[in-house]
Amino acid sequence: MVELRVQEHQVLLGLEKNGGKASVEQLMVASNLPDAAVMRNALTLQENALLNIHAATQNVIKLTEEGKAYAREGLPERKLFRAIAEMGGEADLKEAAKKAGLPAEFIQIALGWVIRKKWAIFFGQNNRVKLLDEFLDNFAASHGKDEELLEQLINNGDEQVIVDELNVSMRGEAEQLKKRKLVVIELKTTRFLQITKEGKTALLEGKMVEPEVTQLTPELIITGKWRSVKLQKYNIEAPVTKFWPGKKHPYLSFLDNVREKLVTLGFQEMTGTSVETCLFNFDALNIPQDHPAREPSDIYYVKEPTRGDIGCHREIVERIKETHENGGQTGSTGWGYPYTFEAAQSLILRGHGTCLSARTLKNKELQVPSKYFSIARVYRPEVVDRTHLSEFNQIEGIIIDPNLNLKDLLGVLGRFATEIAGASKVRFKPDYFPFTEPSVELSAYKEGYGWIEFGGSGIFRPEVTHPLGVDIPVIAWGLGVDRLFMMHSGIEDIRTIFCQDINWLRKKQVT
Amino acid sequence: MPTIDIEYKELEQLLHIELNWDMEKLDDILAYVKAEVKGYNKQDETVNIEFKDTNRPDLWSAEGLARALKGFVNSQQRGIKQYSIAKSEVEVFVSRDLYDIRPYIACAVIKEVHLSDAIIRGLMHLQEKLDQTCGRGRRKASIGVYNLDLIKPPIEYTVVKPHEVEFTPLGFTEDMTLNDILEVHPKGCEYGHIIKYNALYPMLFDSEGRILSLPPIINSNDLGKVTEKSQNLLVEVTGTSHKTVLNMLNLVVTMLIDRGGKAYTTTIHYPEDSNYGTVQKQEITPNFDNQHLQLNIEYTNKILGLELTSNRMVELLQTAGFNIEKTSITDIEVLIPCYRTDIMHQVDLIEDIAIAYGYNNIKPNWQELPTVGRAKQDQQLINHARDLMIGLGFQEILNTTLTNKETLFNKTNRPLTPHIEIRNPKVITMTCLRNALLPGLLEVLSNNQSVEFPQKIYEQGKVIHPDQTSETKTLEEEHLAAITTHPMAGFSEIKAVLDSFLSNFDVQWQIKQASQPTFIEGRTGRIIINGDQEIGVIGEISPQVLENWKLENPAAAFEINLQRIINNKLANKK
Repeated sequence: MVELRVQEHQVLLGLEKNGGKASVEQLMVASNLPDAAVMRNALTLQENALLNIHAATQNVIKLTEEGKAYAREGLPERKLFRAIAEMGGEADLKEAAKKAGLPAEFIQIALGWVIRKKWAIFFGQNNRVKLLDEFLDNFAASHGKDEELLEQLINNGDEQVIVDELNVSMRGEAEQLKKRKLVVIELKTTRFLQITKEGKTALLEGKMVEPEVTQLTPELIITGKWRSVKLQKYNIEAPVTKFWPGKKHPYLSFLDNVREKLVTLGFQEMTGTSVETCLFNFDALNIPQDHPAREPSDIYYVKEPTRGDIGCHREIVERIKETHENGGQTGSTGWGYPYTFEAAQSLILRGHGTCLSARTLKNKELQVPSKYFSIARVYRPEVVDRTHLSEFNQIEGIIIDPNLNLKDLLGVLGRFATEIAGASKVRFKPDYFPFTEPSVELSAYKEGYGWIEFGGSGIFRPEVTHPLGVDIPVIAWGLGVDRLFMMHSGIEDIRTIFCQDINWLRKKQVT
Repeated sequence: MPTIDIEYKELEQLLHIELNWDMEKLDDILAYVKAEVKGYNKQDETVNIEFKDTNRPDLWSAEGLARALKGFVNSQQRGIKQYSIAKSEVEVFVSRDLYDIRPYIACAVIKEVHLSDAIIRGLMHLQEKLDQTCGRGRRKASIGVYNLDLIKPPIEYTVVKPHEVEFTPLGFTEDMTLNDILEVHPKGCEYGHIIKYNALYPMLFDSEGRILSLPPIINSNDLGKVTEKSQNLLVEVTGTSHKTVLNMLNLVVTMLIDRGGKAYTTTIHYPEDSNYGTVQKQEITPNFDNQHLQLNIEYTNKILGLELTSNRMVELLQTAGFNIEKTSITDIEVLIPCYRTDIMHQVDLIEDIAIAYGYNNIKPNWQELPTVGRAKQDQQLINHARDLMIGLGFQEILNTTLTNKETLFNKTNRPLTPHIEIRNPKVITMTCLRNALLPGLLEVLSNNQSVEFPQKIYEQGKVIHPDQTSETKTLEEEHLAAITTHPMAGFSEIKAVLDSFLSNFDVQWQIKQASQPTFIEGRTGRIIINGDQEIGVIGEISPQVLENWKLENPAAAFEINLQRIINNKLANKK
């Protein structure tokens, strides 16, 4: 035998009252339930084949704000008509309008309609309006279908009427009113519920289950009443509202992870400002002052002020100048050009994180041995596309110890490849950086991706270390961190990192 | 990074190898000179090669590349490729007026070269590449090539007044004044800026007063046109760096010798002028003499972490294309060919030894050093701040620090505050550095109007302010901003978030009525800590700002200077 809960019974009963078929709105009235409850119960009833839910789309006529006003107070032409009638059936237009309370801009509209509806005649020479005789005794005879429709609409609780429920002549009026912008016609979906044969049987023979409690309340718990009530069974498969947690940005989270690994490997973090002098971004790194990397097409220059203060590094600048010009004390030939302090002072947005390493090396309290890293926001005037950003992060660092050599450098890269990239094999290739010699490119083999280049490294040239006051080997390394992140989270477009797409962030799964 | 197109067959012939288009094998070979295959076209039989080393112009032709690789692919081909040169009678006289304009010149004569279309293209290609890179866009040095048979030496390198001279530039049919050439001729437009600001322009004439060229802009159409019929050439390089001028001439001339030409020197006569300092008054160019460099054996092994014998080092140096003058117990005297202009220091030779030895033949070693790792000192507190915001249900956002004034001030109704602007922005959306985070968050919201509400987001990151007192004239501070938007969003919601955040940081704070057009008047507050330290602003976003950003839901936000809180906390710890 079918079991019916109270609300289910109310819905079926409401349907019966409405002749077996009703809209959700009708049922809300008949069953005295809110619409969510009607639908929830209807869904359960439909699952049990006790009713069917049909959806129908209908054109609905709705009053506009202007339409509502006229429906209440009468159309402008009606107001004019009334005024003239009260003034004896004939009157001066302006006076009649004044009596009707019509604003100036409505007078011509009202007059137009009065004439068009054949309620009155207008005498242009003396500006008088006269009602037709047939209406003088019988005002009601002038009552038009448009006005009838407006009344019907305003009297309907929801101020709307379904087009199909109007008779055909009235539908024409609806079009007229729409042209006058007094109504709008909208497409609306209505759900109808229809009781089935099984439903009817259930109403007659079904067993009513005792009242159930949906929400377990503190009161029920404290008073112990929960023992005597039945807790309603939920449809636990029903969908619930989506809920979005606050989460870390996946890229920043990845950087956190790399930072943690580097700290574990014994590296200290270096920091510095994004705005940097050419002295540390270029000169200190053995990049000559006329190098193309300094062209405005390759590095961002600060508009104002254009120069930083390098006075505090006088000794270093002198040594760098000498090194660039003729090698100075480094055993190098130097670049052989006249070095200027002006070019060294130029302020730029740092193009790489290596300037931080240079700043660390010049530090008089530099410890030996020591290991450093930085996660630096860097800037290049690149055209942004799938593989290029004009602002991105670089992770790089240095290792300082008197006994370091190329073997150790390869060892560091190998360690990074396994610890940070999770690679199974590594391969080394000759590489070029103006500030290191020898220089090595690291390729790592990762299952499912093949060989990927993900880092560069080298031993700082004496032209770099000596002017900064360091005369022991310094290993410098850098990781292609964006590439690693893209691989790690399956992204193919580097722009995703700064994409501003909340949906992507919400749906990004843990990796 | 420079790239060149090379004819595949030609490279195979020059190297005496056959690879049958196996690009992986070619890559392995190119790795010796830090190059790789960027692309290839089997139909045209060309390979596009990219060079990572921007300091090796000697590689940028098929001949140069083959010259550098020969020792690696064939042990019979090791050592320097020696070029011979004979003397010619051609003389060049340099005017003292050039010193401040373009003081140096180097010339060579090439005879009996058979110029095919391919060779001319290769020559032009190399010339263009050298002008752009070593020549720094022709500013520092530039190359000119002429049909020697049309020229009557000696050559005069001198200056002229721009309006007094006319000639027909290459590719044109009529005489033009120098000023017109700078304005009309494509090369004049491109390189005119190099000489334009001088009262006098550099000029090359022959002994009959005929014009060779206007360096570094354009050759004359009469003497400066090289065709397949040209057999004898004059090559010149002018510039502002003596060393670069000589180096570039060597690179062009060795390439032409590789193509079967015979090279002859010229004599450059510099003026008796103290400005010219150490430059010889009569300089013979080109100069193919090898340079000497002392390589310390112990230092080499120390850098490489290997124990190579001096014999093994000699062998590896030869593989890499060097010759050895002599060897002692401690040192090797290495001869460096004239085309290896990149060698500045013995570390450059040490790297070449390592490459010849093979990087992958060296056993990596993880050196355990007694160091203690640590993140930057504010990182821990930054992480706490981020964790709190996430716990409060806010999604973390990452924006670029590059932004624009429209976002930062106009659309957000923020009063114009000091910020760092970029002199050479690439796109109008990135013209300055942010000095606040909130504008970026509003931008994020405006890009997510179709995404489900409520939207609660925050960003923790750096903002940059101008600061006259600092070395880089800037001050960077960690900020934190949060915004909530949905149909019911309002002041009390965001204030509750801020309260929770600051309480967790153990900060005593108060809020003071403020006026800031980003927010609704009367719903805006300054955030004050420690009685008088202002650290931020909180409020309900003004409808005007919402409209500017096309936001349809109310929003409430705060932004605080997290750095102050962190600094206070760190100071208290101490």
